[in-house]
This record gives sequence, structure tokens and C-alpha cells, in this order.
Amino acid sequence: MKSKNQRTAYPLWLAGPGLLVYSLFFIVPIFTAFGYSFTNWNLDHMHIASWVGISNFVSLLKDEIFLRSIANTLIFALFTTFFKTLIGLLLALLVVKKFPGNSIFRTLFYLPCVLSTMIVGLLFTAILKQDGLLNNLLNSLGLSSLTRDWLGSYGSAMAWIIIVEIWMWAGFSMFIFISGLQAISKDYYESAQLEGATSWQQFRHITMPLLAPSFTVVTTLNITGGLKVFDLVYALTGGGPGFDTQVLSTYVYRAFSMGQLGRSSAAAILLSILVVAITFLLNRFLKSREVET
Amino acid sequence: MKKRYVKLLRTLAALLISSVFFIPILMMLLGSFKNQNEVLHLDLSLPAHFEIQNYQHVLSTGSILRGYFNSFIITVGAVILILLFGAITGIIISRRKNRATKCLYYYYLFGLTATMQMVTTYTLMIDLNLSGSYLGVILVFAAINLPFSVMTFSSFVTSVPREIDEAALIDGAGPLTLIFRILLPIMRPVIVTNLIIAAIGVWNNFQVPLYLMSSAKRMTIPMTVFNFYGLYARSWNYVFAALTITILPVVLLYLCLQKYIVEGMTAGAVKG
Repeated sequence: MKSKNQRTAYPLWLAGPGLLVYSLFFIVPIFTAFGYSFTNWNLDHMHIASWVGISNFVSLLKDEIFLRSIANTLIFALFTTFFKTLIGLLLALLVVKKFPGNSIFRTLFYLPCVLSTMIVGLLFTAILKQDGLLNNLLNSLGLSSLTRDWLGSYGSAMAWIIIVEIWMWAGFSMFIFISGLQAISKDYYESAQLEGATSWQQFRHITMPLLAPSFTVVTTLNITGGLKVFDLVYALTGGGPGFDTQVLSTYVYRAFSMGQLGRSSAAAILLSILVVAITFLLNRFLKSREVET
Repeated sequence: MKKRYVKLLRTLAALLISSVFFIPILMMLLGSFKNQNEVLHLDLSLPAHFEIQNYQHVLSTGSILRGYFNSFIITVGAVILILLFGAITGIIISRRKNRATKCLYYYYLFGLTATMQMVTTYTLMIDLNLSGSYLGVILVFAAINLPFSVMTFSSFVTSVPREIDEAALIDGAGPLTLIFRILLPIMRPVIVTNLIIAAIGVWNNFQVPLYLMSSAKRMTIPMTVFNFYGLYARSWNYVFAALTITILPVVLLYLCLQKYIVEGMTAGAVKG
């Protein structure tokens, strides 16, 4: 009776259209990309790709620019995750308590999260270019020796992309931490205070362990976001100077725009494997920490 | 006494940090009213004379409004599909508990960790004759957002008592009445969450239209602004005016719906 009821009340075919769209426009391209990554598929002869085995992967791993993109992607993901988490936590601890204007500050710190990355990229281009706001401010402070072409010099370009990403998304981590902090019962702190615990001890032994689930969420989101970064690099440097800030997603786009579809797919497949592997390992590690504490 | 001191310290620290967020916005707003010579030297000074014609110029070149129009069509189309498909699939998965729906659930779950493949999506568009069309981009956005939407809808429906459905069924409601008249109104919170996340995500997305929309006529707002910068790289007064025009509505909407947006985005993150 019940199963018959289910069949008529929630007919499976209703899920059909969604399933079709999802399969065709998301899943199918993943599998065809996997297939095409073993071919010499090219924009010039799109429908006559021939099998080349793993030679795309071999040539990628021999390509210095590709290896550099992997290194840059990992550096970007690591640094942004660390600082977005740290700064997000500090901001959360700052504004979670009531003080004049605390909700206004929350609103402000979160604001960049709703902006388009492209727009943020352009704003910071104006700040960081050779005759941009930052250098002008440094000049007027008499610190002309520090000025440089921030996005055009080796090293500082990557550092600034990382800083802008943190600027944009620290507020997002902050809000996840705020909701985590608000979920911690006040009783713990009260009894700790009765036993004479200092604020550092309370933070170390109550706040930190009980915030572990929020840490899991924040770091996982930040690391996957970091590994997939595209817009910000594209907007700020386009991968330059030279290939200094080339990351995997921009490498994929570069190969695509040069018409090397097979090679581009192979690079994209390696990126997805990297994302899945790192998220999986990180999640296992963080979840095990949660249970212990 | 000590408490007041701490509160003051917090306010001061927050004010200091705020400047890091304010300075770029301030530079943009001030710069958008300066004339071309003033803006050559980028700083935080007030414009000598407020040049409204920067905005007139940006609007009259037209591409920004067209960008708005394109972004609007794509966002609305994609959001409708995401909510509709997500809600229906979520209801069916959580109400029909059997092997088929379990498979369906894991099939969607796979999409949460998978990375979208741009190159093959691009060629698929060509093969389906959808290349450069609104419909193609809308369908792609719907597809990549469905995993999240299905997850959140199905976990929400699980918490809705089955008695509600049974009462409606006894009254003779069919599946469509049940879904659209009975269940959808109850699912308001999860609809709002999904609406916000999907709308902001699609509106701001740059990568998908970059690959799939090569024609200038169909460009969305982020691309339009980027191209505008390419054309006017030496006239920051125009670029700033264009940026202000694109940011302002988003910021106003954010300030009005702040509570829903923040809750939606963070709740979504925690569940996702």
C-alpha cells in the first residue's frame, strides 16, 4: 500500500528533466574530457581527433610552465586557506561580542563576498599598478624607495593576488566562525570562570575544540576554492609577468584559447584529480580531529 | 570600568580594519567624479568639481546596460531552473526511499566534488547548436548548481512531517498539487537560501560566459566591465564610473537583504 502510494504521489519521472540537464551539461563533459585527454584533439580538426595515449599527460609533466602552474596553485591555495581561516577567526572573535557598531562592521567585512571577482580585480589593479594608489600613497609618505610595479614584478604579483583573495573572502570565513561561536553554550565559560580559568585558557580549552566543525568547513571550502582559482588571476595579472602567476585554471584556459583542446582537457583532468585528492585527505584529517576533541 | 575599556578597544580595532575595506571603495567613488586629468594621479582626494558626465558617458556607450540585461536574463533563467529541478528532485529523493532514489542522491553528490570541464562543455554547446545562446549558458549554470540545490532541498524535506503529505493525498491531491501547493510554501527557508546562493553565484560568474559567450552582444556584466577596462584603460574616471554602476545595485540589494544573504550563504556552506 505504502509503496504504491509513493509511486503515484511522487512519480520518478518528475525528476527526469533535472536529471537530463545535470547529466548532459555537467556529467557528460567530465567523461568526454577524460576521453579526449588521451587524444590530439585540436580546434583545427575538431571531429577527427586521434588516440595518442598518455602523451598529453607526459608532455604536460615535462612542461615547465605546467609544473610552475601546479606549484603556484598549491602556494595560492595553501597561503589563502591559512590566512583566510586565521583572519576570519580573528575577525569573528572581534565582532562576535556586543560593542557599538559591531553589526555594521560585520556587514562591511562581508561586503566583498557579494562582489564579482572581476570587479574586485579591477579595483585592485587601480591600487597596485605602477602609477596606482598604493605607490602614490607611499610617495606622499616619503617612502618612494618602496614603490614598485606590484603586479609586474616577480614574487610580489603572486603575493598580491593572495592578499586580494584574502581581502575578498576573509569575511565569509568570519561568518561561519561567528555562527560556530554563537552555538557554544555560555555555561562552559561560566563554570570555567568560576574555576578561575584565564581568557586564554578558556579560548584554548573551550572555544578551539568546540569550534572544530567550523574549522573543517572553512578550510575545506577555502582549499577547494583556492585550487580552482581563475577569475582573480585572470583579472589581475592574466598569469604574468611571464608565467609567474600562472595557475592550473588559467593554464587550462591558455591551452584552450590556443586551440589545443586535448591538452587543455588533460590539464583540467589533472586539476580535478588534485582537487578531489586534497579535499578527501584534508577532510579525513579534519574529521578525525573533530572526533578526538 | 575594564569592560568599557575593552569595548572601546574593540571599536578602535574594528575601525582600523574597516579602512582596509573602505579605501578601495572610496577611491572608486571619488575617482568616478573626477575629470580625466585629475584621475591620472590616483589618490583619495576630493574631486575639484563633480563630473557627472562620466556616468552619462558610460551609460551612453551602451554596453553596460546591455550587460545588465544579459546578466539579468541568464540569472533569472538559471535560478528558476535550479529551484524547480532542485525542489522536485529533493522531494522525490527524500520521500521515495528506495534503491533508485539512493543512487540518484549519490549521483548528484558526485557533482559537489567534481570540477566542471570547460573545454568539452564548449564543444558540446557547438554540437547542440547552443553555442553563444542564452539557453545554453542557462542550462550549464543550472547543471553545475543542481548538486548543491538537490542536497539542501532533500535534507530540508526530510524534516517536513510526512503527515502533511498524507493529509493532502487523502484530500485527493495529485503529485503536482502536492509539490506546488502544499510542499513549496513550507520550503520557503531553503528556497530563499538556494535563491540567494544561485543568484549571486551566477550573476558574478566570469569563467562560464568567458568560455561560452564569445559574442559582445551577449556578454554578462563582469565581462562587459572587463572589456570596458580594456578599451578605457587610460581613463580611470570612466572605468570607476562603470564599476560604480555595476557595484551599486549589488551593494544596495546586499544591504537590504543582508540577513538573508549572509545566513543563506553561510548556512549553505555548512550544509554543502
